[in-house]
Amino acid sequence: MFFHNFNYTLKTLFKNKILIFWTYAFPIILGLLFYFAFSDIEKGETFKVIPIGIVENQAFLENTLYKETFQVLGEEGSKTQLFSIRYEDEETCQSLTKKKEIVGYLNLENEARLVISENGIDETTFKFVIEEIEEKKALFNHLIEMNQDSIRNDASFVAQIYENVMANQVSSIQDDSKSHLSYTMIEYYTLIAMACLYGGIVGMYAINQKLANMSSNGKRVSVAPIQKIKLIGSSALASYVALLIGVLLLFLFTVFVLHVDYGDSIFYVLLLILFGSLAGLAFGLFISVLLKKNENTKIGIIIASTMFCSVLSGMMGITMKYVIDKNVPILNKINPANMITDGFYALYYYDTPERFFMNLISLILFSLVLFLISIVILRGEKYDSI
Amino acid sequence: MANCIEVKNLTKDYKGIKAVDDLSIEVREGEILGLLGPNGSGKTTTINCILSLLKFHTGHITIFGKEMRPDLYEVKREIGVVFQDVAVFEELTVYENIDYFCGLYITDKEKRKNCIEKALELVGLEEYKKYYPKQLSGGLLRRLNIACGVAHQPKIIFLDEPTVAVDPQSRNRILEGIKTLRKEGATIIYTTHYMEEVEILCDRIIILDKGKVLASGTTDELKKLARIEEKISVEMDTLKEKNLKEIESLNNVLDCYYDDKLLVVSFLKGKNNLMAILEYLNEHKLKYEKIYSERPTLNDVFLELTGKELRD
Repeated sequence: MFFHNFNYTLKTLFKNKILIFWTYAFPIILGLLFYFAFSDIEKGETFKVIPIGIVENQAFLENTLYKETFQVLGEEGSKTQLFSIRYEDEETCQSLTKKKEIVGYLNLENEARLVISENGIDETTFKFVIEEIEEKKALFNHLIEMNQDSIRNDASFVAQIYENVMANQVSSIQDDSKSHLSYTMIEYYTLIAMACLYGGIVGMYAINQKLANMSSNGKRVSVAPIQKIKLIGSSALASYVALLIGVLLLFLFTVFVLHVDYGDSIFYVLLLILFGSLAGLAFGLFISVLLKKNENTKIGIIIASTMFCSVLSGMMGITMKYVIDKNVPILNKINPANMITDGFYALYYYDTPERFFMNLISLILFSLVLFLISIVILRGEKYDSI
Repeated sequence: MANCIEVKNLTKDYKGIKAVDDLSIEVREGEILGLLGPNGSGKTTTINCILSLLKFHTGHITIFGKEMRPDLYEVKREIGVVFQDVAVFEELTVYENIDYFCGLYITDKEKRKNCIEKALELVGLEEYKKYYPKQLSGGLLRRLNIACGVAHQPKIIFLDEPTVAVDPQSRNRILEGIKTLRKEGATIIYTTHYMEEVEILCDRIIILDKGKVLASGTTDELKKLARIEEKISVEMDTLKEKNLKEIESLNNVLDCYYDDKLLVVSFLKGKNNLMAILEYLNEHKLKYEKIYSERPTLNDVFLELTGKELRD
């Protein structure tokens, strides 16, 4: 019975044109629209290395921390290149700054001194890097002071401390530079989130067809000698499979046609798609059993709430996500579209998985709560009215 | 014949209104029982309660001697239902629809295939196997609705107004199909507000109104409940008030009226009523087009019991 119902539910879902449009075609069409709309913006906003100057004096040459950091950040063609550096004397640096050939220069004579021509993103980035190095320098000095005894016994300990500080230094600068690669990626992440939540329509439709108080088919199925849990379970599983296929197709479309970058961990990306789709299914089931409305009204509610959640999570511009995160953070914490979007964002922007897992756990909790409420409502075998 | 369904003192309220009011009925094995009543009389609610789809406030329902519950699968396996609303999947073909619903009862594929073929034959849809519901006419769709409900060859079949809004050809086919099902041993509970169908099909009839049983019995038994024995209708262009009063005073006449060029005279029990009318018309040289006599219908019984028409 389980597989019989599963097979036929899958068949009805794949043959339903409205469902196919909203869950399969619409996200792909929207993705294409995004692609054409944002490709020009992307071209105009492609990250360029920042031209800076460094006064090549004794103080700089003797300062290993600065020297090595800028060596890494100025290495041409490397992934970590943030600056195009000109090593000159102060006079030349001043002249280049005036001519705006460089955004500013650094002079380490006496203390780190940054000279910039104006305020802008490039100048702020340069300033931020200097501050970072200064912080690390302070940390290094602090560690040396704290470990005088160890250093007295083993002179190589200083080198160990230095290596540790430097390792963190390069890593933190790398992370920040990555964020300049493409901020429109988030639009595509919200698209996946939207497709997952649109899956609620699939779940809602399949479950509606099995509930006596929701449809004529549901009445007929309810008089059959089959356990409700098996019936709903197999229908939900079929909906999940149909939904997952749709989201995976969209994912492949975004990767191979729209060239969306999801970071390096395909396993985590798939994990997020799996649980994102589950959240969509839970949402559909919840709407299906909670609202005693006709099918079209329920579809309307799912579409409207999905779009609303997607917009809040940054579908129509990342600014919205930042505004919500800053002013009403709780809204994005309970917004399933944001959990999925932020999960992808975390995979793409951060090297550590904590934020990703926070989103994943939130999605699982969201799904569990909706599933539990739905099961409690569904437990009744008889109805007051049908 | 043993009872296969027993309903005792069933009461079901909808927001303070009694949809079924202390209803008790029995269904005998192998019979076609007609539940007759106007819209809102409680026919469908009674069926939904029997099927354990609806909660009810008081009463007991037993099927094959067992108290009916939603999880009484051994009994549910023997039940087939054809609801008033067509219940099929638009996305599946005729064959697939029957296969899906039949598959909820029969897991063996070979056995199921035979059942489906038989159901298609029963309702005359053999040529439409690969059609989608949208491609079928209203009548054919109703037939598919029946096939989906009876393909698993149940012992008890509930047919809830299966002929609503169907063409005469499909209606005849459906009625023939129901007779065939009964011949094969099924017990049928047939609800309708079409009294002609009930008279043709049913062994026993229960007349319902406002959730209560008004009367039950065979067609003849019910008709005996009516005071009128015969109804004579005369098509004539004119009739004076004086003549109408004289006709009303004839022997055994219960009631008479003249409306829209039709004289209708209802007679109490008695003989030679038609002769009496003919003699009067000839004697007074009244011209008429047609004259015909009818036995009282179930509608007359209902009218007498409730003061309203079945289709009101």
